[in-house]
Amino acid sequence: MSKPYTLQELLVIAVAKEIHDYENVILGIGIPTTAGALAKSLYAPHATLMMESGVIDFEPLLPPNHIADAHSCRGFSYATDLFSAFTMTYRGFVDVCFLGVGQIDKYGNVNTTVIGDYYKPTMRLPGSGGAADFLSYAKRTVLTMLGGNFVNKLDYMTSPGYLGGGDSREKSGLFPRGSGPTMLLTTKGVFRFDPETKEIYLAQIHPLVKIEDIKKDVPWNLKISADLSETPRPTDEEIAFIRNFAPAQSAGRELSLELTIANMMSKAKKS
Amino acid sequence: MMNENGKVMSAKKAISKFVYDGDQLVIGNYTVGTCAELVFEVIRQRRKDFTLYSQSGIFDVEVLVGAGCVKRLVTTYVLRSGGRKGGSAVERALNAGSLEMEDYTNFEYNARMVAGMHGFSFMQVLEGVMTTDIFRKRSFMGDDKFRVIKCPYTGKDILTVPAANPDVCIVHVQRADKHGNAQYWGALGSVAAAALASKRIIVSCEEIVQHDIIQSSPHLTIIPAYRVDAVVEVPWGAHPTEVLGYYNIDFFMYALFTMANGTADGLKAWMDEWVYSCANRAAYIDRYIEKFGSSILDGIKAKAFYSAPANYGSAFTSRWDREGRERNMGLTMRELEKILKERGMLYE
Repeated sequence: MSKPYTLQELLVIAVAKEIHDYENVILGIGIPTTAGALAKSLYAPHATLMMESGVIDFEPLLPPNHIADAHSCRGFSYATDLFSAFTMTYRGFVDVCFLGVGQIDKYGNVNTTVIGDYYKPTMRLPGSGGAADFLSYAKRTVLTMLGGNFVNKLDYMTSPGYLGGGDSREKSGLFPRGSGPTMLLTTKGVFRFDPETKEIYLAQIHPLVKIEDIKKDVPWNLKISADLSETPRPTDEEIAFIRNFAPAQSAGRELSLELTIANMMSKAKKS
Repeated sequence: MMNENGKVMSAKKAISKFVYDGDQLVIGNYTVGTCAELVFEVIRQRRKDFTLYSQSGIFDVEVLVGAGCVKRLVTTYVLRSGGRKGGSAVERALNAGSLEMEDYTNFEYNARMVAGMHGFSFMQVLEGVMTTDIFRKRSFMGDDKFRVIKCPYTGKDILTVPAANPDVCIVHVQRADKHGNAQYWGALGSVAAAALASKRIIVSCEEIVQHDIIQSSPHLTIIPAYRVDAVVEVPWGAHPTEVLGYYNIDFFMYALFTMANGTADGLKAWMDEWVYSCANRAAYIDRYIEKFGSSILDGIKAKAFYSAPANYGSAFTSRWDREGRERNMGLTMRELEKILKERGMLYE
């Protein structure tokens, strides 16, 4: 029996396995950067990790705080600019990128801008950042949704997935052939997209989660893979790597923040 | 899939693997540090029918055209050896009808590479040239040499050039690692754009260095490893032109070339001796020293003037401090795992 693991660790590993050796990878902050470090260490030693700020081919030693965090490594191979990082994606040199999701629809279109009315928002989210261009032009995109929702209609379409489904993305002529979201990771499972209809379906379910728990999050009749599998248990090696590299990631944002504030407070009182 | 050391090879192997007859070939270097050995190897392998791009078509263009490798030329500036009385390989080839040529300005030529580098299909250039024969006289590119569009914001006429995405770039730099990260400094010219616009890239360098040299100076990298197909270590690889930090221009050799280049026979004799009869750069340098001694080469070797190192360091490189406590949460791993267990966050 291997070491007990946290849900966050399970998620990081599921994302890391989407990175293959020798690939060029654009990492977003949070789970993806830890996943990138894990992949580079265990599964994809020749992957080129990149951040859209122009930090190309870095070896992460710490989880970056943001996408321009050259403090997370000791040097890197190529310092370019943001413009070039995007045009290299446009030209097809980025194999896989990772994006967070606020709302997602049946065909993998993504909202990261606003919940409610655009001009009078119920909840104003960050916006596009790199998302719309990356989801347009990276060969593959892995989506992660921790706090977001499945919806029938996005409140705002920030980033293009498979548009109206079927061949509509292909037919628009705006995107590289075969590009688009390939996976959505949530706290309950892993979703993929039907190769024909481009409709999202449940491909993998995390341990201890029931299909009904997932179905009730989705406002349409969610399709389930005929060969639905369970997300594999983390190995000791994977757990040890993540916990050492990014202990706050293992603990999750809420707990790590609580413990950090408690620690800093007690230090402040002592001095 | 690329083997880790698979990119390091001889000039001979790199050219035979990645440069083909009929290619659009771009000389990555601009005026200084010409990739002389890669150019010579292309000639030795008798590659032909190139559409050749060279920003400033001096030494490189003359020898490639003189050797009969080039069918079409895109450039902004060519060499004439010996002034009025002399001549050039380009001029001779134009008169013989064996070469077609398109003239651009430096800016327009570079704009074509920048458009190609970024994946754009064209680039806006400076409209004054519309009044000149650079705009009016067209060769093999015809209507596609320039096109004029209306600016959607101002309604003004805008001059554009099409993107260039050459099949292969040959380029010489100071140093690279075995993965292909290529570092170049000095007059940046259009070097990075010419390389990055291209589909295949052959880098020659004065020296191959350890990866950690590159990692500690990423601002000097102009071509990232994942774009590079071949890395060739060639000391004196740009001779008789100059490489900043390694050697100055060799006026003596350059003068011998320039004098010879005034006539077709002269150029042929010079190339027989220095290109065709030298199997590689080492043989070329050996011949040079045998014939002229080593004092000229010794005299043009660079004396060091190092750039101040940039500090790429940060406060720490691990989330754990010297006492084994996580820097923000202040807990040891054991303490953290205990809390995770108490909160019911650990799954068996």
